[in-house]
Amino acid sequence: MKKKLLSALLSVAMVATLLVGCGGTTATTEEAPATEEAAAEETAAEETADAAKQYEGVTLNFWSMWNSAEPQGQVIQAAADAFEAETGAKVNIEWKGRDIQQLIMAALEQGEAIDLFEDDYARIAKTYVEYCYDLTDMAAAANYADQSFACFNDVATAWAGFLPCVTEQPQVGGVFYNKDIFAECGVEVPTTWEEFMAVCQTLVDNGYQPLALDTAYARFNMGYHLERYLTEAGVSELIQNGGWAESEGAIQAAQDIIDFVNAGYLADGAPDEYPASQNKIGLTGEVAMVVCANYVAAEVNNNTGAEINWGMFNYPTVANGSDSTNAYAGANSIAVTSYSENAQAAFDFALFLTSGEFDQQMADTASQIPADPRNTAPAIMDGTIEALTATANPLSWNMGLNDNADVKEASNEIVIKLFEGAYATGADFAAAMDALY
Amino acid sequence: MKKNKGLIIGFSLPIVITLCVMYIYPVMRTLLMSFFQIESVTGDTSTWTFCGLGNYANVFASAGFKAAMWNMFKIWLVGGILTLSLALLFAVILCSGIRFKKFFRAAIYLPNVVSAVALATMWIQYVYNNDYGMLNKMLEMVGLEGVKWLSSDMKFWAMLFAFVFGAVGYYMLIFISGIERIPVDLYEAATIDGANKIAQFTKITLPLLRGIIKTNITFWSVNTTTFFLWSKMFSPIDSEASTIVPVVYLYNQIFGSKGSYTRDAGAGAAVGILLALIILVVYFVVNKIIKDDELEF
Repeated sequence: MKKKLLSALLSVAMVATLLVGCGGTTATTEEAPATEEAAAEETAAEETADAAKQYEGVTLNFWSMWNSAEPQGQVIQAAADAFEAETGAKVNIEWKGRDIQQLIMAALEQGEAIDLFEDDYARIAKTYVEYCYDLTDMAAAANYADQSFACFNDVATAWAGFLPCVTEQPQVGGVFYNKDIFAECGVEVPTTWEEFMAVCQTLVDNGYQPLALDTAYARFNMGYHLERYLTEAGVSELIQNGGWAESEGAIQAAQDIIDFVNAGYLADGAPDEYPASQNKIGLTGEVAMVVCANYVAAEVNNNTGAEINWGMFNYPTVANGSDSTNAYAGANSIAVTSYSENAQAAFDFALFLTSGEFDQQMADTASQIPADPRNTAPAIMDGTIEALTATANPLSWNMGLNDNADVKEASNEIVIKLFEGAYATGADFAAAMDALY
Repeated sequence: MKKNKGLIIGFSLPIVITLCVMYIYPVMRTLLMSFFQIESVTGDTSTWTFCGLGNYANVFASAGFKAAMWNMFKIWLVGGILTLSLALLFAVILCSGIRFKKFFRAAIYLPNVVSAVALATMWIQYVYNNDYGMLNKMLEMVGLEGVKWLSSDMKFWAMLFAFVFGAVGYYMLIFISGIERIPVDLYEAATIDGANKIAQFTKITLPLLRGIIKTNITFWSVNTTTFFLWSKMFSPIDSEASTIVPVVYLYNQIFGSKGSYTRDAGAGAAVGILLALIILVVYFVVNKIIKDDELEF
């Protein structure tokens, strides 16, 4: 009996303490203002705090494709902390690294507690689309179009049927070059293949090696050149069904590359083993260009310790080609799961991370293109925002050459051999490709 | 002593259940999957579509799979002969009473302790590199022109040699354990009878190592069929015909690859089943050819 009484008393004391504790702030708030102005300020601050803490008690589970020690991971963590302080939503980040590609599908299929996840935007829009939240309305309400590149939103929407993701780390492909070498040789950025060849000759005349090439990117180079003759759809059609020997564009594209190689415009040792050739841009200072996506600039600088004065221009057009001026563009993006119970909070966090302050921080820290075009690209990404803004129909990786998994490896080898100078004519290359079918 | 059935069942049940869940179920599921068209490896069975032997027909028609199988066969045959021959040679030398045996044994085994990623990176960047690689520097020193060791024609052999370098120590240790089991009396008797070292090797060591050779061939076959990392390291971004192997092909089928988003878990399962069959065939053939129970010592 005594114990029950003691328990009851203790409970009453605890409740009373709680009430006093909770009520204290209000009482202080009511008593503290000495003037009307101070009272008004206090009220405004309180209202802001109430509005900002709209996600108090919410926990968002975020599967990241980075590791916490990477620059990207550090910015994401900082953004998560700031988001929690501002809105009350705790972002629980699981650092999955690049393995996310193997893990995420099974996790989504099992309905694992994930609110957001990162991956390649094409994979999100094509492979995981069934498990992605339709962000179209939320994006419209948040004016997302004003703080993102239209090309990614349009393409992802076309693939998925709705907006499935928020662009986080855009990439653009083209020719990345050392601006100092161009300036020293007095050459302008070329726009056509003829101009490009002339620039290469001038570079050689001045003792420079025009183009670095690692075998890992041989198909990217060749894909670009084929696309300029045939469009991406044309390249895709050829790789799927063959008929290379009947395609004048394909034969001419291969002949251009043979002429390019025979003219000695590849860097010494190219095509080399990744990343040996691209590193020569930084290591020797004698190699002027590389055809790749924008991350090559940061890779070369980090690998070699050089601070190259990078510039970028779109892959040249060709005479009698398709007039295509599109560029490769891809992105790591953030998707909200279709079964998330806090989809709006998840979307708000995705936007918080990919626009404004934290997007700028991501661009600066990780040396990449900002996802928000209103932000500024770091110096080594010079020209990339313009290239992305000008790209209406972004090209896919390898411009259609990936569209036949059965001949992917074998065709890759043939393309590498083309850059190694194994074929005398474009027709020989076409015949080798046709032999795969 | 009276057997306590309850105790036996109690002790064996956990391992039986574990075996069924962790081994038999995945194997049976993979076998079943190989007869269905399946996009996602973890997809619900309601999404599977029966296609009979369609997956097998597709992978056999694929140029990528054919290249992968051919590469695997070359690794198994050429790499196997090189690795097992060198391993046996080193084992015999180390068991012949040379000085610093422990040091040499440790040195030859060392690559097995080092991560394969580090080992492959070392070979690619420091041995085969065009400009500052060890091999080309050595060629330069004797006045010869450098070789592009990682060109498309040479890449497979460069990869295989690097792999063999790392693998020899493991098989050498197994051979050493086999040689050390052979009674010394046999060699002493043979020496008294006038047999030289080569005769002792061919007439005593080799015949008594049959069981070990069989084990090593089986291990090598398993190692070859699961060859993955070296292929990935020598073609880090896009798979190439010169270095692709069946497990990389399987991986690409199931998870897609850079810029390629199509997935075919059914084809991947078919490749897995084919690889398992290959190991079984090799195991039975080796067992049939090499009998290890003819001699007792």
